[in-house]
Amino acid sequence: MSRPSDLVQGTLDMLVLKILALEPLNGFAVSQRLKQVSGDVLQVSDGSLYPALHKLEQEGWITAEWKTSEYGRRAKYYSLTRLGRLQLEKEADNWGRLSSAISRVIKLKEA
Amino acid sequence: MGPKHWLYTIPLRLRSLFHRAQADQELDDELRDHLERRTEEYVAQGMTQEEAHRRARLDLGGIEQTKEKCRDARRVNWIQDFVQDLRYGLRILRQNQGFAAVAVLAIALGVGMNVGIFSVLNGAALRLLPIPRAEQIVSVNEIFHGKFTRNSHDGSDMFSYSEYLDYRNHNHVFSGLLAYEPFVGATLGGGKMQELVGAATSCNYFDVLNEHPVLGRGFVDSDCAAPGASAVVVISDDLWRGTFAADASLMGKTIILNRTGYTVVGIAPPGFRGTEPFPSSFWAPITMSKALEPGRDRLTDDNLSWLALLGRVQPGVTMEQVRADLGVIAGQNDQLHPGRTTSLAIHRATFFNRQMEREILAPVAYVILAAFGLVLLVACANVANLLLARASTRQKEIALRLSIGASRWRLVRQLLTESLLLSLIGGVLGSLLAFWSFAGITQFAVSHLPHEFSTLTVNVAPDLRVLAYALTITLLTGIMFGLIPALQSSRLDLNTALKDDSAHSGLGKKGGRFLRNTFVSTQVAVCMVLLLAAGLLLRGLYQAQTVDPGFDFKGVASMFLDLETQGYDANRAAVFVRELQERIAGLPGVIEVAQAECAPLSHDFSGDMFSVPGQRDKVGMLYNHVSPEYFSLLGIPIVRGRGFLPGETYNAPGVIVSESTARQLWPGEDPLAKTLRDSSGREHTVIGVAKDAQVWHLGELNEAYLYFPTGPLVDVRVYMLARYAGDFPGTAKGIREAVQSLDKDMPVGVTAYVAGITRLEDYLEVWRKPSRIVAALSGALGALALILASIGVYGVVSYSVSRCVREIGIRMALGADVRQIMNLVLRQAMRPVLIGGLVGVAGCAAVGGVLSSMLFGVSAHDPIAFISVPLFLLIVALLASYIPARRATRVDPMVALRYE
Repeated sequence: MSRPSDLVQGTLDMLVLKILALEPLNGFAVSQRLKQVSGDVLQVSDGSLYPALHKLEQEGWITAEWKTSEYGRRAKYYSLTRLGRLQLEKEADNWGRLSSAISRVIKLKEA
Repeated sequence: MGPKHWLYTIPLRLRSLFHRAQADQELDDELRDHLERRTEEYVAQGMTQEEAHRRARLDLGGIEQTKEKCRDARRVNWIQDFVQDLRYGLRILRQNQGFAAVAVLAIALGVGMNVGIFSVLNGAALRLLPIPRAEQIVSVNEIFHGKFTRNSHDGSDMFSYSEYLDYRNHNHVFSGLLAYEPFVGATLGGGKMQELVGAATSCNYFDVLNEHPVLGRGFVDSDCAAPGASAVVVISDDLWRGTFAADASLMGKTIILNRTGYTVVGIAPPGFRGTEPFPSSFWAPITMSKALEPGRDRLTDDNLSWLALLGRVQPGVTMEQVRADLGVIAGQNDQLHPGRTTSLAIHRATFFNRQMEREILAPVAYVILAAFGLVLLVACANVANLLLARASTRQKEIALRLSIGASRWRLVRQLLTESLLLSLIGGVLGSLLAFWSFAGITQFAVSHLPHEFSTLTVNVAPDLRVLAYALTITLLTGIMFGLIPALQSSRLDLNTALKDDSAHSGLGKKGGRFLRNTFVSTQVAVCMVLLLAAGLLLRGLYQAQTVDPGFDFKGVASMFLDLETQGYDANRAAVFVRELQERIAGLPGVIEVAQAECAPLSHDFSGDMFSVPGQRDKVGMLYNHVSPEYFSLLGIPIVRGRGFLPGETYNAPGVIVSESTARQLWPGEDPLAKTLRDSSGREHTVIGVAKDAQVWHLGELNEAYLYFPTGPLVDVRVYMLARYAGDFPGTAKGIREAVQSLDKDMPVGVTAYVAGITRLEDYLEVWRKPSRIVAALSGALGALALILASIGVYGVVSYSVSRCVREIGIRMALGADVRQIMNLVLRQAMRPVLIGGLVGVAGCAAVGGVLSSMLFGVSAHDPIAFISVPLFLLIVALLASYIPARRATRVDPMVALRYE
């Protein structure tokens, strides 16, 4: 049986980029936001979120800076770069094409 | 991604590379921050502080692992890892100096020898010609297929003069195409008598090669305008300095080559020695060919292979275009020869261009490289065994690393870095040694080659190709001896390895022992092959040393005279030879004098296709033209019929055959009065049968061989043989004076293999030389492999003894005696040795045929070699395992049981 929370390979990057496109966030907030907006369907383990963030930073798609947060706490905030925005558009396009193609197949009526 | 992308990422990567500590600190902070927040969240949900903290950590999936993954996400991580591994490796090596020294030494030896031999082969066969823009020069050879007849002077893949002109005038790809006849021998006359080797060249020779004489000029077109028109010569800088004392006034003067005067028009640039591996002393226009080599008219023979072709390709033209363009010309030529097709072999020019040379050189080179590679393999197996043994003492360290989150791949990488470090140190050391020593070694070896090869120039200086080869085999070596131990030792059962001490895992680990035994078997097998080869060659050498060639070669002087190049025609030559024979016979101490077209075992031979009336197949047979005294002088008995009579020439129909010939052509019949027809259709009647003698090839007894009488036409190239009773130097001096009393300018005794007047025994020496060199080489390689292999056997046995101390102790406590323990250890030690030995013997038996041409009648499966060498190896292996085995028998059971 497959678990519903399993992410399609490679979509985590896209989701993180999208969430950071809305506003700069720290790692913890990204994790919370993912759960929130997907209604707990998409649960990304903290253990894979951070390596993903570091990878995106290395690619130059997001950039990080240390800021003092609401409660006077220092945290590392990630925000989207111009390159990241382009990358997000590209991946969103791909995803749109892929998912509509899959749903067209799934919705075929049995004869 | 455009360059802009890199503007972002490069600083990031540089930062993670050089500010590693800061980046790590930030990673720590980030994850700690995350943990705190997560914990707060769980506490808010009602968990206790402790429970919340634990859950938060679990969510993160192991802090250290996550950190490592984040570091991996930074792409430069492997560089840091590598630097770290390197530092660690260096520290480990410093701590294990004994181990490091042995390993480095073994690798340095193995790699050094391989790099050295490769630099020799590279210098001989792969290097481009040492001329400006050599990469533009290609060599052209033609290979004929189908039905054709062809006269060949120096290799059938060469060109005739008319073919050269065709290719030169009709190609569209060369800025210039030159032709030359290599190895033109000439006697320098005029009081400085000396034998020279030079070349007859097309008149664009120096222009195409772009090697313009510094003094004077090269050739101009008018030099080649008509046959024999322009007697000019360019001489080498070496000859100019050596013989003419760098006298600038030589320019425009005349020097004598083969009795014709040539005007010196230029001195070749220093360092230019022609386009053959043997240096040229002079270059004359190709149109002077007839004067240089009288008696032959090569320019007009359209079907004679005698010219080598080199072309300078126009800039921008590819090899494919060259092949296509010249192929068209070859196709047009083929139309004149129905049934014949020509294919062209075109490649960048080196010192060895001709197809025949390449076909001989390539397999020889592969065999040599393989033999040296085998020694490297033994060295690798040895170091691998050392590493395996050491890995088991490092088990705890490795287990610790695995248990705190290192991946297996990461560990393998670390272990490989260590072995690459070892191989790099060894490889650099070995290569430096090779570069330093092989120039000298090559010079020494070349100077001990037969006479004609002693001028061979081999540039063994390392070039890019050699460096690339050195680096490649060094890295391969490191991976070869490092990979298996690394994979083996990183595959650990963590629990037992951490808990237990080494004694336990020593006995339990079957895999490790299997690997170690495999390495030992490999070493023994390789060693066996090399030693067997050496053994066979030594047997062959002994055979050659003691062989009875079927004629009496002691006390015979031999001299070669090439009267043709000295301008003698057949009649003058006949007079000269007859007169000379009388004068030599009159010398004090000379017993008998004979003449022959080919001296026995002189590497000179003539052959033809003969047919026997009544038999359909033509038989290729070697023959000789000899005077009547030949048989008695060499002690070859005439067993039936008669020998030649004084005054009998080849105009008489008589032929003397060897016993083998008679057996092969007329089995069971009386050969006398039978007839043979040569390829020109002349019939010869058998008048006598001579006993078999190995006159053509040492070790070949059953070869068919024919003797014809001499006569004027064969007098122009003649060997004089003299049996003497006195001392050789005196006799030689007498013979030389006899020659010069007849013609003071006559050069004495220049053949391919020996110079001057020599003893017949010296010809035998030439035959023994190659096998002596190869035997010395394979003996040295075999000895080296033997030392390495016995160290290997010793190491493995003493290692396993040290691991089995407790087992031995128990056995002894239970009543086993010394002999039983000894048996146990030796049996275990000898199993891989025996397996490897058998593989080696089988391997050598399979490939032994390669050596057969150097074995002089010893079978490639010679039982003496095949019994004594394995026996010898077995004894050495036994000794190597006996020493550590004896230590096992001295184990005190009480100490052993308490051990560790």
